Amino acid sequence: MKKCALLVFSVAAMAIAVGCSKDETTSKDSGLAGVNVAVGEKKAAFSKLFVLNEGNFQKNNSTLDFFRFSDGNYVSDAFGSMNPAVVQGLGDTGNDLVLHEGKLWVVMNASGAVHVLDAKNEILLKTIHIPDPRYIAFDKAYAYVSSYAGAVYGGEETVGRVYRISLSTYSVDGTIEVGCQPEGIAVSGDKLCVANSGGYNPVHDDTISVIDLATFKVTGTIKVASNLHFLKADSEGNLWVSTYGESTWTQDADGNWNQSMSEPMGLYKWSGTLYVVKDVHVSCMTVCDDGYVYSIGNAAEMSGGYDNTLYKIPIKGGTVIPTSLSKTDAARVGNPYGILVNPKNGDIYIADADYTGPGKVWCFTKDLKYKWSAVAGMLPAHMVLR
Amino acid sequence: MRRCLLALCFLYLGSFLGAGAFSMPIRPAAEDTLRAATVSSTFGSLVVPQTITAGEIRTVTSLPEAIRRFSGVQIRDYGGVGGLKTVNVRSLGSEHTGVFIDGIQVDNAQNMQVDLGRFGLDDLAGVSLFAGQKTAPLQSAKEYSSASSLYLETAAPSFKGGARDNLRFGAGAGSFGTISPKAAWEHLFSNGTSLRLGGEGVGSNGRYRFHVKDFRQYPDGTVAGYDTTMVRQNCDLRSIRLEGGLFGSASARASWNVRAYFYGSERGLPGPVYKRAGDYPLSEDRQSDRDAFLQGRYVRALGKSWTISGKAKYSFSHLEYADFPELRPELQAARFNYRNHSAYASMAAMFRPGGKLRLNLAQDLQYDYLDSDMRDFAYPGRLSSWSALSAMAGTGPLDVSATILGLVVKDGFLSGGARKSALRSVLMPSLVVKWKVTDGFALDGFAKRSYRMPTFNDLYYTTVGSKTLEPEDALQFDLGACWDVLASGSRTLSFKTDVYWNRLKNKIIAVPTSNQFRWSMYNIGKVAVLGSDVRAEYGRRIGKGTVGALVRYTFQQSRDRTTSSPSTGSGTGIAGSGTYDIKWNGQIPYIPLHSGSANLFGELDGWRLDVTFFATGERFTTSANLPAYRLAPWTTLDAAVSKDMSLRSGEMRLKLCLNNLLDEQYEIVDNYPMPGFNFLFKVEYSF
Repeated sequence: MKKCALLVFSVAAMAIAVGCSKDETTSKDSGLAGVNVAVGEKKAAFSKLFVLNEGNFQKNNSTLDFFRFSDGNYVSDAFGSMNPAVVQGLGDTGNDLVLHEGKLWVVMNASGAVHVLDAKNEILLKTIHIPDPRYIAFDKAYAYVSSYAGAVYGGEETVGRVYRISLSTYSVDGTIEVGCQPEGIAVSGDKLCVANSGGYNPVHDDTISVIDLATFKVTGTIKVASNLHFLKADSEGNLWVSTYGESTWTQDADGNWNQSMSEPMGLYKWSGTLYVVKDVHVSCMTVCDDGYVYSIGNAAEMSGGYDNTLYKIPIKGGTVIPTSLSKTDAARVGNPYGILVNPKNGDIYIADADYTGPGKVWCFTKDLKYKWSAVAGMLPAHMVLR
Repeated sequence: MRRCLLALCFLYLGSFLGAGAFSMPIRPAAEDTLRAATVSSTFGSLVVPQTITAGEIRTVTSLPEAIRRFSGVQIRDYGGVGGLKTVNVRSLGSEHTGVFIDGIQVDNAQNMQVDLGRFGLDDLAGVSLFAGQKTAPLQSAKEYSSASSLYLETAAPSFKGGARDNLRFGAGAGSFGTISPKAAWEHLFSNGTSLRLGGEGVGSNGRYRFHVKDFRQYPDGTVAGYDTTMVRQNCDLRSIRLEGGLFGSASARASWNVRAYFYGSERGLPGPVYKRAGDYPLSEDRQSDRDAFLQGRYVRALGKSWTISGKAKYSFSHLEYADFPELRPELQAARFNYRNHSAYASMAAMFRPGGKLRLNLAQDLQYDYLDSDMRDFAYPGRLSSWSALSAMAGTGPLDVSATILGLVVKDGFLSGGARKSALRSVLMPSLVVKWKVTDGFALDGFAKRSYRMPTFNDLYYTTVGSKTLEPEDALQFDLGACWDVLASGSRTLSFKTDVYWNRLKNKIIAVPTSNQFRWSMYNIGKVAVLGSDVRAEYGRRIGKGTVGALVRYTFQQSRDRTTSSPSTGSGTGIAGSGTYDIKWNGQIPYIPLHSGSANLFGELDGWRLDVTFFATGERFTTSANLPAYRLAPWTTLDAAVSKDMSLRSGEMRLKLCLNNLLDEQYEIVDNYPMPGFNFLFKVEYSF
């Protein structure tokens, strides 16, 4: 496709920098009005909440939105508006979003691309090609991207890779094989850790690959549980890793068939030894600077019921605090698909995915009182505060 | 997200067949019934279907092009020579439309998608569409079961002036590097039985240019965006279709025919157009198919008041889908094979107790089995039984038909190492009324409840299927009027209009289970349709020539009334919980509020010229009718010219079809661009 792509016509992009800057702090994207969803805060600790909508697989409808704290407006498809001449926009299946040193890194799974954006104005600076990228992590000099590396469902067993991107040249300068279908990736101390799912294999993978950052070689594996997904590192040197869970079909006494979970979407903590974080379910999770890991999961997952629950897990250990959303304003959330917590005021942002239509972003106080909500794009999932 | 959706993609890989017809909406006499049931399965229907005649079929290059001239119909077309083409009648979904070849349904137990692109146009006597209930003598029980039915009717061979053999050769060539040779032989045996053997091959690289563009307007009035030309890749097609037919001579007491069909193809699946970085190919996926069936029907009169018919069919299809690892030529492709076997038998009897009453009794049985090399496959088998009782009564101006159909379906499947079973049954009532007010003016109406059984894909697809699904439930009400304004020898003018209200419940939708990353099918969708079809036809004879016009318009307000999800339960959608309020009451995906077409033709001295204009209004890719999910309206203009002439002892036919003359760039399915201007030239010689 791209081989034959012929750029026939494109309009200068930046004609739309509508904002006639009154002072240097005014961003070029201040002209994007958006929809007012909340009362503006002049002294907010952050300027924007970025939301990456994954989009539907092979629909090319992934978009980047932001909520602007100063005026309480929600701007949809900010990337498209700021980069109108970029053919096919952000692309297909946004899978990760990270803010690093003033730049937004957007990992596009189906498009096989990692976009680097200026976080001030969402203007595209560079696109790096990586096949099947999943998640991204950083150390001082490099970005590391986990990748399925061409694997297909039902095909022969294919190990995944980690691609290393130099932050000085913005190009791939190394790659290394890890487990099958690697997902979450995090830098912890002088190690890079990757959670392997093996999701395409009949028997799923159950390990974390540990890579020495200095030599960029796999030095070991940590056996955790089947079908790993998210992997986050905290400031205390712990790793937090979740699983996709496993399901089976059973027939009840009336002859009805029920799909039930044989393994939950569980959470594990690695701090030299492995701990199961008991009774925690993970549809989405975040590690917050306030000393907690937050996750939302379905407490009734194993029985096939629905009880979306927010789990607040102290990083240093201690009691997990579960709050069933049904007893709070957050009962209105349908399918929690992404979570982020504001470390300054404790506000909780929940991305609510719909799968057949646009999703929503909800903002609740730390006590789960409703603050605001906005209509997002398709499958909002990944959020960062700037 | 991607992992779940990858799995879903396989669900919609279809395989399938399709093929043609005419109708005579008159009340048949006893002996006519016999002839009708073999000559045309649409004959004698109480409801007048929309029909495309053999003459009109000649002016198009493919069956879907013919079918989109019907009112109330949306063709779903993935574009190009090899792209899947299915028909959706009155917003109920393509699975609710039965496609029948010579009165026997073309099935696909796997996904119920019948690819209309696989049927030939040659030898079709006509194509008819019954929106709602067909009510004709000697109908098989299955013919009552679809929400709407499309009939493809094959013409029996005809022999001129004592000839015993007809030979026909033809070839086509045109855009996308398409070449299609074909040949047919017809023979008349001394006992009156006739035989037809024919075949057609198609080879095409399928490539065409298309535009990817997006412009946006900013509050200050500036417009910015891009418009890029790309070429559709990996869309080549090689196919062969072989057909054979034996047609018994129509005696006064019995008639029969037998038909054999084979279709084989190998094609690239170009996939949707989405952004790909670097030199990554968009899709290298391949699909190959082998479809075959053998079917026959037999009709016999028994005394004065009974007529019986029997039908039987065996079909087999093999689909292989190959998915190639991205940029990893050293790795093997993932290959998925599906083999679908289906055996069908039907008995129908018509009884005339006397007077204007007619009873139709039918019993059909079918067995489907799906085999696959997929991991943890369920190997589902399905035994279906349809039993129908239909009563028709007429007083002259007023005709009424009432039908009750019972369907019992028993599935067997492998689960956890053991063979399990599931039973589903439904009752489908329908009522059709026709009132002939005056000679040229009639009112008709119907009410029908029909169910669409979950497909094998819905039920047994590994990790996505659900074993607890109920059938989709479609309820239809229709009121129509036919008015023949002019019916003199040289001029005809007629109007047909329908207003309908449809409701779809328990629509099967794939959504996540209690675990976000496990998907399953749920009966959660609801749709309410308010629609109207209007059709006007004009014809005039001028000297030796004929001119005519057909105009149709369809209005379909098809609203999403889904209010529940597995996670939020039912009834919470409207209150602003979850995300259902964004979609509530929105127009459902891909159904335009307005669509229409106009066709003008002229015939003189063996020449025929057709000009056809299609227009489809804006559509949305989700029920959230927001600008981001809007698909632009489109219009196309097609022209076709054909010439029939005598050449030596035979007949020569030349045809040139020019499609999308204005080179409109449009999409019917999001991210599947349609071709711009294209043409096909065909020549055929028969003797």
